[in-house]
This record gives sequence, C-alpha cells and structure tokens, in this order.
Amino acid sequence: MIQFKTINDRIFSVIGFSLLFAYLLSFLFEGQVLYSILAYHDVHDSTYIVAAIVAHFAGLFSCGYLVKSPIMAKYTMLSSMGVCLIATVPYFFAPSALWLAGLIVSGYAGGFAVASWGYFLKAYTPKNERIKSCADVLIYSNIIMIAVNVVAINLSPFIGLTLSMFCLVAGMALIWILPIDKQEGWREETESKFNVGIKKPLMMLCLFVVVITINSGLMYQVINPAFEHLKELTSWYWAVPYIAALAIMRNLSMKANRSIFLYVGMAMIMGAFISFMLLGRNASDYLVVDTLMLGACGIFDLFWWSIIGEMLDYTENPVKVFGTGLSANVFGVLCGGVVGMAVTSIQLPSAEVAVIALTVVCVTLVMLPTLNRQLVMVLKNHVYLASYDNMSMSQKAEIIQRTKTLEELTAREQEVLQHILSGKSNREIAETLFISENTVKTHARNILSKYDVSSRAELISTLLKNQSETF
Amino acid sequence: MKEFRKRRDCYAVFFVIGIVLTLIFAMNLMLVAAFISGMGSFILFIILVRQHLLLRDANLIWDNPILTVSSSIIIKSEGKKWEAEKTIFSTFGILMGSKIYKWGSEGVHGVRLKSILIDRERIHLTFGDLKKTICVEMLHGMADKQAVLDVQKRLLYETGVSAMISGW
Repeated sequence: MIQFKTINDRIFSVIGFSLLFAYLLSFLFEGQVLYSILAYHDVHDSTYIVAAIVAHFAGLFSCGYLVKSPIMAKYTMLSSMGVCLIATVPYFFAPSALWLAGLIVSGYAGGFAVASWGYFLKAYTPKNERIKSCADVLIYSNIIMIAVNVVAINLSPFIGLTLSMFCLVAGMALIWILPIDKQEGWREETESKFNVGIKKPLMMLCLFVVVITINSGLMYQVINPAFEHLKELTSWYWAVPYIAALAIMRNLSMKANRSIFLYVGMAMIMGAFISFMLLGRNASDYLVVDTLMLGACGIFDLFWWSIIGEMLDYTENPVKVFGTGLSANVFGVLCGGVVGMAVTSIQLPSAEVAVIALTVVCVTLVMLPTLNRQLVMVLKNHVYLASYDNMSMSQKAEIIQRTKTLEELTAREQEVLQHILSGKSNREIAETLFISENTVKTHARNILSKYDVSSRAELISTLLKNQSETF
Repeated sequence: MKEFRKRRDCYAVFFVIGIVLTLIFAMNLMLVAAFISGMGSFILFIILVRQHLLLRDANLIWDNPILTVSSSIIIKSEGKKWEAEKTIFSTFGILMGSKIYKWGSEGVHGVRLKSILIDRERIHLTFGDLKKTICVEMLHGMADKQAVLDVQKRLLYETGVSAMISGW
C-alpha cells in the first residue's frame, strides 16, 4: 500500500510538472502560442521573447537562494503557477503595457516554479530512477505542447492560450495534492552523506549546458524561421524527433554506455547544420534537418537533466542545484538567440551560420571527455565513501596500506587521509586535528603526490579499485 | 613573520604606485616613461608574487612548530653561519628571522627531510631533492632528555623521519 502511494506521488509529481512545463514550452518560452498571438496582433516579437527568457533565467537562478524547505518549495511552486496564470490573462486582450509586464512576471515566477520542483524530483523519485522521471517529464510536456501548438496554429491562438492556462491549473491541482510530510527527512538524509563537493562538476556541467544550448538558440532564431512557410508540418513534427530520442534514451539498459550517444548527438548537430546549409527549404529537407537537430537536443537534454537529478542526492538545497542547472540551459538559449538574431539581422549566409554552429560543437567536443570524467568520479566517489563509512577501523587501515604509494605516508598524513576518506572538507579536518587549513592542504598535496594522482577524486577512485580487489 | 608580511605589503604598495604612474604617463602620451614604469611594475609584480609565496611558506612553518628556540645559531654545510633571535623548527622547514629552509611541502619530487641527528647541543639536519642536499646544524637549547624524546616522537609522527639521538 505504501509502495503504491509512493508510486502515485511520483506520477502526480511528474505529471504536475509536465503540465507546468507544457505551459512554458507552448507559451512563455518561445512557444508557438505566444508567437501566434503576437503575429495575430502584428506585434514585433523579439522584445517580448528576450524579456521572457531573461526573466525566466533570473527566476531559475535566484529561486534556490530563497526557497530552502519542502513546505516553501510546495507553496512557492503553487503560488508561482498562480502568478503565471494571472500574468497570462492580458494576452486575451489587445496589446498593452500589461503584455510585457505580464511576460516578465510570469517568466520570473515560472523560473521559481520550475526550480522548486527540484525538491519533488529528489523526494519522490528513487535515486537510480531519476533519468526516467526526467525523460517522462520531457516527453509528456512535449506531447502536450504539440497538441497545444496544433490547436494554436490551426484553430485559434486564443484557444491555444486557454489550453496552456488549463495545463497550469491542472498542474497546480496535482502539485496541491502531493503530501509534504514525507520530505521532512531530506535534510538529515543529505547531511549524513558525504561532502566530496559537487560544486566543480556542477559548474562544468553548467558550462557544458550553456555551450551546447547555444545551438538550440541558433536553431530557434535561424533554422525555424527558414521553414516558417511549412507551418502545418512544423506545428506537429517539430518536437517528434526530440520525443523519440528521449524515449530511446529512457529505455536504454542502465548498463548501456550512454557516453557514446553523446558523440552521436554531436554528429547529429553537425549533420543538422550541414544539411541546413546544403539542402533546400521544402518539407523533406525540413524533416532531415529537424530530425537531426531535435534528436540531438533530446539526447543532450536528457543527459544533463539526469545528471542534475543524480546530483540532488548530494546537496542540502535541491532547488538551488536544479535551478542553477536549468538556468544554464536558459542562458545558453539566450546566448544562442542573441547570436541568431545578429545572424538574421545581418542576413549571414547559411554556410556561415553552419560554421558558427560547428565551432560551438567543436568547443563542446573538447569539454566532453573532461566533464564525463569529473561526473563519473563524483558519482563513483559517493558510492565508495558510503561503503567506506560502514567498514571497521581495521578494514579502513588495510585499504590504505594495501594501496601502493611512491613513498610511505607519515602517521600524520595517514590521519589526514582517513578524514579525507570520511568525506570531510579541509576546514573540517583542520578543526578536528587542531591544525590550519593551509596545513591540511599541504598534507593533502603530499598524499596525492605519494599516490601519484592529481586530484582527490582520482585518489578516491584509486582506493576504490583497491577496495574491490581487497574485499 | 612580521618581516615577511611587511616586505610583501611594501612591494604591493610599490606595485600599485607603479601601475598608477604607468597609467598617468600613458594618458599624457609620455610613452617612454609609461614603458619604463610599466616594465618596473612588471618586475615589481614578479617580486610581489615571490614575496607572497615566501609569506605563505613562512605561515606554514609557523603553524606547525615542533621546536621553538628563542636564540639560535644555524650553521650551513659550507660553514656559513646565521644568528637569529627566534628559530622555529617545524614539519615543513625552519624559519629563522627572514631566512627560510623548507621541505616536505611539494610532494615526493620536492625537497624532503632526509635525516636528523640530535646531540647534546645541536640538531643536525639533512634535506634536499635529487639534485642537491643541504646539511644544517642548529642549537636546540634542550637540557632535558624527555624533551628530546618528545621531539623525536613528534618528528617521526609528523615527518616520518626517525631522529637519531646521540650523547644523551
């Protein structure tokens, strides 16, 4: 019964967020509903689009600094969705200052609502299942978005707007019924875990997300307008390859080597821009370009969404981590959008647009191996440290002694190493041993040198190998 | 320590002055003067970085004392002598006034403490890397054997080097 309830909570949380996300995708975040309404009133759209994205970025980024408890997360999500609902109403009327104000307010509130879901993802989805929840959210929200887009383009933009607002209301209802008492233990759970530090990998991931998403921004501004005359096809097919890629990645075996797909994704982006440069602008050309581009977006989006999902276990503030990760995505779209607008305004030939996109892909290719290594190490280390903590003192000592070093560790260095392996930070070790933080850093440097490794993560991985050989 | 900090701060002030002068010269199109003062600032910057690193090393030695001698003489293997009011012998080196000998802070390939001999009057230290070895003697001022044994124990714990005791 309890298990059934947990599954229900997870489903409600996923569907509730999918509905919110569908509203964002169909309206607020360069959605077809917004474009259609602006076109209906013959309003120049770039100010509105940029304002909404900047506000959304600010909301995502700042939410984690204000929302710090499960109750706050739930009510922030609900109230933000309510604010979005109210701020969307002016779009049923003639253009006025309320349009821009409403878009900025709903963009900011939307950022808060999305980031707050970090708590629900952490609380209701088991650790190794987060990739599935993330995939589900992206698939459901895109399916709903396609339905809303089709209505907005083929029937009426106002019916589309009504539908996207209905998504918000339905999402609020589902989030409202989620219990919050279950999440009270999250802080204790996190505090008992180990502090290897996710700051560096998170920063690397954000950088990766920004760079890779610049291509999405370019796509919005350059590729989409080029196929604007195929509205009937684009309204429904646009996100289909994205959904298909997500579905494939979601159902891959847990043991499958996912990093290969990242390189496939890179090749698909390159292929998309080269096709855009070489092919024409008819329906079949659109199918090729869009399938390659959106398929790659699906692969990359699920990659970084799931990594952020895994990282939530190692932070006290999932809203901050989730919001920061997603804000990097929005920032990338913004940068790409600015590049795209510049490219469109000076009417750069498609060959040169492809060169810009390929440069971005090359930068991403350089970053990818380092990022992968960092992330794999951080996740492995947490697994190792958890098992290390459950060992007896003699087992711990044996691991250290069994691992070969270039030179024997001094007693003090062994003491420092024990604390490092207990997941303590330099400051905590310094406080425990009554020495300065600078001294701890020097001992740690010596330890790394004696094990012939270059980082703590590598040191822990080296000991991890030894642990599996020993026990 | 104060001496290191004072020297570092002095160079920082000179560096800032150099930069300001360079900017003033550049804005008044006195290009030669700007170039000279720019070069001077660059040299000052390098010295400043060096002084900062020295201060960092001095701090590290200061933070990890094993033996503090209020008045001491250090004799280097080539016969050179230094006198200092306060000498700190630590896990990571010796700090004697404005003179620093450091070891054990740069991993296995850096300067390492190799051997220690404590006699009635002095501590004889040998340290170095693959290229160079330095021998240093210093007056320790310890009159009690237990104090010597405590220092020996602490040295082994902190540096991994077992000190030989002679004449006690």
